[in-house]
Amino acid sequence: MSNDSILKTFLVVFLLCIVCSVLVCLAALVRIDREAYNQLLETRSTVLAAGGYDEELAAGASADELFANFEMKILNVDTGEIATDINAEEFNPKAAMDNPDMVVAIPPAYDIANLKQRPKFVRIFVDKSKGQVVLPIYGPGMWGVMYAYLGVANDGTTINGLKFYQHSETPGLGAEIERPRFQNQWVGKKLYSNSGNLAIKVVKNGRFDPNAADAPYTIDGLAGATVTGDKVQDMVQYWFSDNGYGKFLANYSKSKE
Amino acid sequence: MANAKDALLDPLFNNNPIALQILGICSALAVTNKMSTALTMSIAVILVIACSNAAVSAIRNHIPNSVRIIVQMTIIATLVIIVDQMLKAYAYEMSKQLSVYVGLIITNCIVMGRAEAYAMKNPVYESFLDGIGNGLGYSLILLIVAFIRELFGSGSFFGLTILNPVNNDGWYVTNGLMLLAPSAFFLIGFIIWALRTWKPELQE
Repeated sequence: MSNDSILKTFLVVFLLCIVCSVLVCLAALVRIDREAYNQLLETRSTVLAAGGYDEELAAGASADELFANFEMKILNVDTGEIATDINAEEFNPKAAMDNPDMVVAIPPAYDIANLKQRPKFVRIFVDKSKGQVVLPIYGPGMWGVMYAYLGVANDGTTINGLKFYQHSETPGLGAEIERPRFQNQWVGKKLYSNSGNLAIKVVKNGRFDPNAADAPYTIDGLAGATVTGDKVQDMVQYWFSDNGYGKFLANYSKSKE
Repeated sequence: MANAKDALLDPLFNNNPIALQILGICSALAVTNKMSTALTMSIAVILVIACSNAAVSAIRNHIPNSVRIIVQMTIIATLVIIVDQMLKAYAYEMSKQLSVYVGLIITNCIVMGRAEAYAMKNPVYESFLDGIGNGLGYSLILLIVAFIRELFGSGSFFGLTILNPVNNDGWYVTNGLMLLAPSAFFLIGFIIWALRTWKPELQE
């Protein structure tokens, strides 16, 4: 049979497609099998870092044991209460972000981070040993969406850690937000002033004055990354406003007293 | 066999896919800001070229001329998807850093070029070696560029700090250009210059 006959052409292409699709399917099956495990590992290490467990991990503590102290819960952001009717294990935060029935529009007056909408429900991590809560936050950066977790102590205002796990900021400039030098600054800072107003902010690099009255609420920005610093500030300010986790944290710190 | 040895070693210097054929530049810019990503990408490309060359060569006498490009493309795409899925399964963190560039090996002209120019005319074993050789030629340039970019851009080598950067309270002022893709253009340009000075017969 000639190679260029129509029958042979169809036969070769058909057989090739069968073989290739079987191989692709097998590869996809292996990947799907491991996907949940990989995502769990990533979430676990991010949550532990945001919860201020870097030292324990560096000292050789087992991530499994530390994470066992955390309890996953689903938070209704609007009411600030835990939604007990949703199974946290089966909750998919990414799907909740994309599902039009699961998101609410953010009133323009509140929308400082320019998110337009946010999920009604988020998955949070309550740490029973330290008495803290680790909350997911996200917002647009300079080039793409930045995703992070932020750990708040049980006084509802002290930050235990901030950990970015996905972003596309400029390498060497904005991307320094993922470095310890930037993230460590957040530890011990307060979200709210003594009078209860949202006070956390990121200032231009070098404008940070450790003796100023607002020093406990101020983060020194990154050199050459003013826009990224502003966007990080907007995102944190939005998520800890009354439209974000404000209500929940007010309840949370009260319930611990 | 001289032919097999040439197939393997020629693409390293005498017929380097990046420095001489100027192919595969896109990914060479994108993944070379760190040694670890460049090494992973290199291994992925070597695997894909070697296997696609071998597969195309194995069925070369049955490929109808009218659909040969699409047949090569299907084989390459299948291999790339397998590599991509395996990275996602077993090197999740790395696959996130490489993002779309593993998938874009499909459009890497080196792979297609070797299938069409070499594997269609040569036996399986030589084609396989030619694939490994071209993959190594690509990797060589990638690793040289990544070494320079990571050392001067971040002050490190495979993530280990060599020059302590000021961002980490050290003394080394990092070169921001090295972290951005255009620096790879300059470096590849210098490598081409150096190669053609060393081997004047490569000059056009």
